[in-house]
Amino acid sequence: MTVTDATTSTAPHAPSASSRRAARGFAPVTPALALVVFVFVLPVLALLLRSVLEPQPGLQNYEAFFASTTYLKVLGNTFLVAGTVTVVTVLLGFPVAWFLAIAPGFWSRLLFAIVILSMWTNLLARTYAWMVLLQRTGIINRTLIDLGLISGPLPLINNLVGVTIGMTYIMLPFMILPLHATIRSIDPTVFQAAALCGASRWQAFTRVMLPLTASGIAAGALMVFVMSLGYFITPALLGGTSNMMLAELIAQLVQSLLDWGLAGAAALILLTITLAIYLVQLRFFGFGQARS
Amino acid sequence: MTFLDIRGVSKSFGNVAAVSDVSLEIARGEFMTFLGPSGSGKSTTLYMIAGFFEPTGGDIRLDGRSILAEPSNRRNIGMVFQRYTLFPHLSVAENVAFPLRVRRRSGAEVSRKVEEMLALVRLERFADRMPAQLSGGQQQRVALARALAYDPPLLLMDEPLSALDKKLREEIQAEIRRIHRETGVTILYVTHDQEEALSLSDRVALFNHGRIEQVGKGRDLYDAPHTRFVAGFVGHSNFLDCTIAARRDVRADIVFPDGSGCADIPLHAAASSGTAARLMIRPDRLQLAAPVPAAGPGIDTTLSDATFIGETFHFAVTTGWGAQVNVRLPAGAPMAHEPVIGERVRLSWNAADARLFAD
Repeated sequence: MTVTDATTSTAPHAPSASSRRAARGFAPVTPALALVVFVFVLPVLALLLRSVLEPQPGLQNYEAFFASTTYLKVLGNTFLVAGTVTVVTVLLGFPVAWFLAIAPGFWSRLLFAIVILSMWTNLLARTYAWMVLLQRTGIINRTLIDLGLISGPLPLINNLVGVTIGMTYIMLPFMILPLHATIRSIDPTVFQAAALCGASRWQAFTRVMLPLTASGIAAGALMVFVMSLGYFITPALLGGTSNMMLAELIAQLVQSLLDWGLAGAAALILLTITLAIYLVQLRFFGFGQARS
Repeated sequence: MTFLDIRGVSKSFGNVAAVSDVSLEIARGEFMTFLGPSGSGKSTTLYMIAGFFEPTGGDIRLDGRSILAEPSNRRNIGMVFQRYTLFPHLSVAENVAFPLRVRRRSGAEVSRKVEEMLALVRLERFADRMPAQLSGGQQQRVALARALAYDPPLLLMDEPLSALDKKLREEIQAEIRRIHRETGVTILYVTHDQEEALSLSDRVALFNHGRIEQVGKGRDLYDAPHTRFVAGFVGHSNFLDCTIAARRDVRADIVFPDGSGCADIPLHAAASSGTAARLMIRPDRLQLAAPVPAAGPGIDTTLSDATFIGETFHFAVTTGWGAQVNVRLPAGAPMAHEPVIGERVRLSWNAADARLFAD
């Protein structure tokens, strides 16, 4: 009763007060917003315009893209790598996130520090480190040969295997962090309850743990998949020229072939796919927040 | 006859003994309550029965078979937790169905049983709600339905009402009593609330420092406490400092600090003459009268406070040596003379109502 009264009595003043508050709230955002508009939105729009205006107005750039088996293969590679990286980061990241959530203080802090530190290390340094590890005479191939498991070096670099390994490593923290937040929000007593209800460990995992962490997995997977779709440095360094990804193709079209029209078309195709995936995610999981 | 047999069970965490040598036999269909202050080992004992902790010593037998080697999910025990532990992603009906689904029961059996259980806790209309849409009391009733859905022979309840307000608590206590009568399930109930323990259970085991101080009907714990801890924890009590003057078997004569004395008090300790002790009397077993010499045991006191609170009068009297004693008299009881504050009054009791504990 009192609440209703209070609301009605303040209602006439509410709009002006809230719009003032909103205006005050927006003021600090303006510089960042301006930066995004001038540095991101406008150049992207310019590129998109060139995709339908160069060399002459029309959709010929898109027709060319979808008519070329080479470009479609690049698109396929992009999805294959992004999909594989997403699946592998879920499989590797889940146990880590779970351990971070339940391990005693020291061990979880240590593991957390390792995850964060790897994120803070320079991306190029980390990718070159993988080149050292994965090359024909690298530690991995040498060790396997010395152990007698293989007779010749495995082709781990300059192909999609190398790209997938390197990107999985780079993307892992983006899976672990949201997943860890979701797992930590679950009251561990529900697992005791599940056990007494008769659920085996596997049943408790599939019927309680997975549904309760689905939103975290979805949030992490979206982040990893979308970031992987447009990733450039790691595919450029660890991948081969015969198995290009879309970002590499766009760079090559712009830098070597100066075909801004086709590059713009490829960029718009990538952006459209990304937005479509994001919308699907929103439809099923809201804003990636845990359902409670 | 014994259904749940707890034999000399101990549990230590590192060097800290949480439960030491607890033994208890519980009959089929009994409502047993573990009562005690926090940290007394009552919940730890319950968790060992549930399989969340492994005892460091002793054995737990259910229906003649040791259950210690079985993991929690094979013990077929029901449990209602202190916190709301419904699965947040499942509806009320699916929460109740969960234990049946993991047991791979047929769809028809699951829906029949869910219906039966929701009727038992009177939440049929809430079947399709999500746990977050229920009040705390409703959530605990769903938890109760979920714990009983697979007809476990033993139901554990770990302070299930502690998060609820008083009125709701009393309501659900009545529900629990009714469900116990209707299902005949053996219940092991943990609480730190003595009123809850006394009103719900057939028997109460009072825990203190990881041991059971006394097991018995609520009435026994109240009327015949074996230790000073039991006397202090169950019900209200007055403790009066005194010295044992002479001892004969299980009875003793005592002397109060002002030199007055009492004879023939039942004694529950191995105390010899001359040692300090405490006399315990319940506030509702005391009488107040004008200060005339009387036959029974009693002491002369001064009335220091009087409060009328509806059904009872609360009096506080001060003894000759400065100790305060609380007295509760039913307001309807005839009182020859209503004393005023500062007046001398004779405090008396029946010899059988006093208990003597060594210090």
